[in-house]
Amino acid sequence: MTARFEIPSIETERLILRPPAERDLEPWVAFNQSDRTAFVGGRKGRDETWRGLASYLGHWALRGYGMWAVDLKETGEFCGNVGPWNPEGWPEPEVGWTLLASAEGRGIAREAAEASVDYAYRVLGWTTCISLIDPGNARSIALAERLGARHDGDFNHEVYGSMRIYRHPGPSGARGAA
Amino acid sequence: MTAPATPILETERLILRVPELRDETAVTGFLGSDRARWHGGPFDAGRAWRVFAAFAGQWPLRGYGHFAVIHRDSGQTAGLVGFWHPGDWPEAELAWSIFDGFEGRGMAHEAALAVRRWGATQPGLARPVSYIDPENVRSRRLAQRLGATIEPGNAGPHPDEPCLVFRHPAIEVLAA
Repeated sequence: MTARFEIPSIETERLILRPPAERDLEPWVAFNQSDRTAFVGGRKGRDETWRGLASYLGHWALRGYGMWAVDLKETGEFCGNVGPWNPEGWPEPEVGWTLLASAEGRGIAREAAEASVDYAYRVLGWTTCISLIDPGNARSIALAERLGARHDGDFNHEVYGSMRIYRHPGPSGARGAA
Repeated sequence: MTAPATPILETERLILRVPELRDETAVTGFLGSDRARWHGGPFDAGRAWRVFAAFAGQWPLRGYGHFAVIHRDSGQTAGLVGFWHPGDWPEAELAWSIFDGFEGRGMAHEAALAVRRWGATQPGLARPVSYIDPENVRSRRLAQRLGATIEPGNAGPHPDEPCLVFRHPAIEVLAA
């Protein structure tokens, strides 16, 4: 006997959101040894990075949704991970994003996050959607605001510390799909 | 993507399948307890959940992983037995953990035999190691009962940590 689970891929204008895969490990190993980890829990070694990748896939297996790996359609360039995310200890499900430095400044996170919020409402049936952001992460805060999200209180995580809750417009909000 | 099909193994008292959300309480409870001390724990709740997710997520990455051990009679998740192969480890280990309330009934042995038999049919899993802390007397006994022997000169994946490397025999040898 066997069992299986599915991870859908979705396309946007410029991007493919696909299942995380082994080939994403090396870019994340480099990222996790850089200062860019300041807002996502600090530096990690290869072993810890591998476990993170495994937990992305496990989140899909356990919850039926999770982080996608984001590739540029045209070149196949790997840009980062974006998607609905709800590990133990989160105040409620969020749409999260972590982009590689090389992918910044091109609106990629915005395009992937919009698709993810839309997916959360349309496919997962969420009635509300947040993003948790480190208060010092100005870029991420700016993105949340461009997405129409508003600061809606704070959340103190026992390990990561204080995070801002940004709440996105609802399923029938200004950016609604209808 | 449809993740590759994963096996379900059946033994006299146990069903072994890939970890699922319904194992969450049992697995994270174990990982948060002192019983997880041989596995880098105990972990806080958030870390325990991510370790649990990594157990589930290793399956699509490597094609093998930990099985949740389901006790047929009670339907409860009694442990985790399977092939754990994180990050930089040179090879997969056959690992076992039996949860509180299910110990002392030979379940790890029963599950490990089934998992090892399955592994013998898979690439790279024919003669696995088991990494065991020298102070983990129960696990050492089980490794010996399974016919595994200490591999001289192998210090394990983290040479700075005390570790006995047991190498399992080829299954054909055992069956002979």
